[in-house]
Amino acid sequence: MRKIAFLLVVAVAFVMVFAFSGCGDRETVIKVGINAPLTGDIPKVGEGTKYAAQMWLEDIEKAGGLEVGGKKYKVELVIEDNESKSDSAVKANTKMITQDDVLVIVGPQSSAQAVPAGEVANNYKTTMISPWSTNPATTLDRPYVFRGCFLDPFQGPVVANFIIEEFGFTKAAVLYDVASDYPKGLAEVFKAAWEKKNGAGSIVAYESFTTKDTDFSSQLTKIKRSGAQVLFTPQYYNEVPLIVKQAKDLGWTGPIVGSDSWGSAETVELCGEPCYGQFFSSHYAAAGAKGATKEFIDRYNKAHGYIPDDVAALTWDALRLAQQAIENAGELTGKIETDRTAVRDALAKVKDFAGITGNMTFTEEGDPIKCAVIVKINDKGEYEFYKSVCP
Amino acid sequence: MEIARKFKNTFSMVPMFGWLSGALAAVLVEYFLGYNYISLVLGLPKIPVLFGTLIMLKTPIMIPSVLAYDLIVYIIPVLTVAKLTAPATNKIAGSLEKIPIWLSTIIHLVLFYGIMHLWAGINDYRLLVLKLTMVSIILTISINVINGYQGEFSCSHPGFMAVGAYVASILTLVLFVNDKMFGQALLPAELGPWLFPFILIAGGAVAALSSLIVAIPSFRTRGDYLAIISLAFMFIVKSAIENMNFIGGARGMSSQPDYASLPVIFCWTILTIWIVHNFVTSIMGKALNAVRDDEAASESMTVKTKKTKIIAFMFGAFWAGVAGGLFAHILRFINPGTFSIQRLAEILAMVYFGGLNSIIGSIVGAVSISLLGEALRPLELFKWIIIPLILIFVMIYRPYGLISFKEINVKKLFRSKNK
Amino acid sequence: MDYFLQNLINALQWGSFYAVISIGYSMVYGVLMVFNFAHGDIFMLGTYIGFAIATLFIAVFSALLPTWVIFAAVVIITMFLASWIGVFVEVVGYRPLRQAPRASAAITGLMIGIIFETGILIFLGAKRLSFPPLMESHVYNIGGVYFTNIKVMVIVISLILMLALHGLIQKTKWGMAMRAMSFDFLAVPLMGVSINIIAPLTFAIGAGLASVAGILYGQAYPILDPYMGVLIGWKAFVAAILGGRGSIKGAAMAGYLLGFIEIFVAMVFPSTFRDLIAYSIILLILTYRPRGFFGMEYSTKLRL
Repeated sequence: MRKIAFLLVVAVAFVMVFAFSGCGDRETVIKVGINAPLTGDIPKVGEGTKYAAQMWLEDIEKAGGLEVGGKKYKVELVIEDNESKSDSAVKANTKMITQDDVLVIVGPQSSAQAVPAGEVANNYKTTMISPWSTNPATTLDRPYVFRGCFLDPFQGPVVANFIIEEFGFTKAAVLYDVASDYPKGLAEVFKAAWEKKNGAGSIVAYESFTTKDTDFSSQLTKIKRSGAQVLFTPQYYNEVPLIVKQAKDLGWTGPIVGSDSWGSAETVELCGEPCYGQFFSSHYAAAGAKGATKEFIDRYNKAHGYIPDDVAALTWDALRLAQQAIENAGELTGKIETDRTAVRDALAKVKDFAGITGNMTFTEEGDPIKCAVIVKINDKGEYEFYKSVCP
Repeated sequence: MEIARKFKNTFSMVPMFGWLSGALAAVLVEYFLGYNYISLVLGLPKIPVLFGTLIMLKTPIMIPSVLAYDLIVYIIPVLTVAKLTAPATNKIAGSLEKIPIWLSTIIHLVLFYGIMHLWAGINDYRLLVLKLTMVSIILTISINVINGYQGEFSCSHPGFMAVGAYVASILTLVLFVNDKMFGQALLPAELGPWLFPFILIAGGAVAALSSLIVAIPSFRTRGDYLAIISLAFMFIVKSAIENMNFIGGARGMSSQPDYASLPVIFCWTILTIWIVHNFVTSIMGKALNAVRDDEAASESMTVKTKKTKIIAFMFGAFWAGVAGGLFAHILRFINPGTFSIQRLAEILAMVYFGGLNSIIGSIVGAVSISLLGEALRPLELFKWIIIPLILIFVMIYRPYGLISFKEINVKKLFRSKNK
Repeated sequence: MDYFLQNLINALQWGSFYAVISIGYSMVYGVLMVFNFAHGDIFMLGTYIGFAIATLFIAVFSALLPTWVIFAAVVIITMFLASWIGVFVEVVGYRPLRQAPRASAAITGLMIGIIFETGILIFLGAKRLSFPPLMESHVYNIGGVYFTNIKVMVIVISLILMLALHGLIQKTKWGMAMRAMSFDFLAVPLMGVSINIIAPLTFAIGAGLASVAGILYGQAYPILDPYMGVLIGWKAFVAAILGGRGSIKGAAMAGYLLGFIEIFVAMVFPSTFRDLIAYSIILLILTYRPRGFFGMEYSTKLRL
């Protein structure tokens, strides 16, 4: 017994000596949470998010911190993996808000995670900006949740109208992933927009598959037989090359049009020539960019060896938005609840923010009013600006 | 070795009641002194959650501070209070032995709940982790009925969970919530928390009924066909929900009311443990083990093998459905993707890690895998190397799981250690 | 008619993958009575090895050697390397658990699979890879039915592989030992056939087959990602058990059946309901043929 007591005392003393060296008053650090899919189905999206966030932090550190109300504060990033799972995204948000005391959260990217995670952020009155989630439900009735991109109900008609104007087609086919939130939602919006213009039944094939499927031959055979003139497929970068190639192998000759999820640099890298000449709607076009956008692209390319995709650009914008909101918040009290609300109010007031993906002003729902870009994949495999459509 | 033996000797006379008092003292210390004094002095930014594993892995420089915190807040209070009050608690434990066992159990459980409540009250992340861990316990126990006691290999648990989750969510949304999906609430919202247990039972019952789709074809013959029928069932459930647009399809359902509070989940967990324990120690449970070990022999001993198997299977599915209902009301968002292969791997890992044919093993398995998953979060990708490695080692050195073929003996657990 | 024929070709290609992969499953299941849940990830790893070898060969020899030599060399070297993964999985995950419950061994398999996935993700990063084409793709059109030379190659090579394996199992001494082992794995070791040789051999053959399937897969669906084996692995598991225990023929047929069901359900019904209907059909098949297609009676008592 005595020996144990002695050992305990020694242990306590030992640990104390080390521990007290780090002793001091709590300093206010601005923590920014990043909720990103580092593992799971779309790790490339998570990687882009992480790199953009690290670049942003570099800038802040170079400036010696963030200046709020005449005082410089240190900034920390809290990066959490949501494994591309909705329950994990909820856990990550809860952890960052209640444990790490983050001031703002940027992410999650996909709507499947952003919708439930937004609920958490709103409940805890913490500002969350989802850079890439285009589903209306993410920000609906949630004063604390914002987004950095346009919405599906805007994007769908943009693509439909573009096809009608560009090619004059009347019969379209849709191929989408029924198990994934984003493609499904966009497919529905597109269908509605198309049928409004061309009458009911003008979507001649409305086919689906399930996440992780790689063989689409049966669906594509059906699409081809239906006599569709154009195929719209709002899929992610890992499925697009397979769909395009298999369609060509089955003798499909019409154009294939996509949505902003095509925007990853990997789409063309994996797909190669079959994708050249196709169109998709996006948030920004990398080839031929100017000014701050080009600066960002070059810097990213230099650091990581590839052209950043739209996720990285949108994340960058979201972080800069958050930065501006924090700077506009007046002063930080150190009471996290008050500060979070101040940041939220400041963010809602941001007007004509000049982002690298376009100018942004928030509506009451927390959605920015932004233009969509129609991008053409040119013969060199670059994403070329083709047309811009504004609301 | 010497020290370990001495240590064991010193504390061998502390009864369960004493340990609980020690833990209560520890959480009280944390509650009153944790933030403003202890963690401040140690230079910690906040009270460490999950015993500081997250901080330690993220910023190794904090390790001494965190260890000091754990020592001061948890280890020293638990050990000293447990030791010092041992004479008193032994007396209490002695007198508790005289009252009926159910009353004594309830007293212990209330004390245990109080500890958890204080511990989880410090921050909501702890609360969430604790809630999800308890749901995992229910799930693991329910799959142990099928994969352990019954000796089958069933893969359909995510499916049952999905059925329970969706049925319970639909009921609460239709009855108590004004939402976009189902319109006006049919009943006043105040009734919600009181009727919530019935809703969970309804979810479980539908899951049990749906389990017949698996049970009837697969129990015509013995063998591994259950594995693939149950796997097919899981794919069918997921695909069916994806196609039901009136309940959100792939988009999922959200805004379930916040009925799954800590006491509610705690009560359900205890209820599960109690009922499943009674089930597997009843004649039915013995029959189940007999069928597993030798079907022909048990048939000849008048065991109705087919009936036994189907009832046990439905029983397991029922609790999976209840767990699903609770899960839906904790996260307040469900989508079919949540109940797929990944979830299956997680559930299987928990039950085989903890131990077959044992409720206590299931509890250990569920708690360790859930907590490991959260505690190793800062390691990001390497988390998915370490957890599988741990599981492989456990499987190699304890092929039946950590604690297998052991039942809880409440009387022995709570008895006084006065020698 | 051309519509049907087109889908027949689609189904033959898709079914070939299920068939070749599920044979590997079925062999392990037949000989050792365990589920090899790492098989899907062995397939994934085999594809990555094939990718590395193919990239190397194309870079070095593409000017020197004809296409078919490169192709054959890639297949043979990949098969050889990948079969060692099978041996590794057996020795690390299954051998220590030979006396343990079968399900425990299945769990170690599952965990080894997760380690493979994560390992690749850590090692190669989040980037997806594109499998280099080992031959130029040509599209042919015969009476409205479109097919490529790759499709034909996939189907033919799969059939050759399966026939070769059938020969190996039926005609050679090793094959006989395997068949004997699957008939009674307790008695056979007493006859001087070492289970410690037969078991790794079975795993190795399964892994080799999976890696060839991986190369063919890389030609037909040229996108590699660390989780590509998960879903296909579980589906091959369904096919392997559906085929009946220890039956190569059954596993192959069940693999093709699964491919046909998936393709033709999507052809006839709205494709949204594909999984729902496809797996309901499997459930119905098992209800009426509870022993699978060619399953034999269990000779030894099942362990837990």
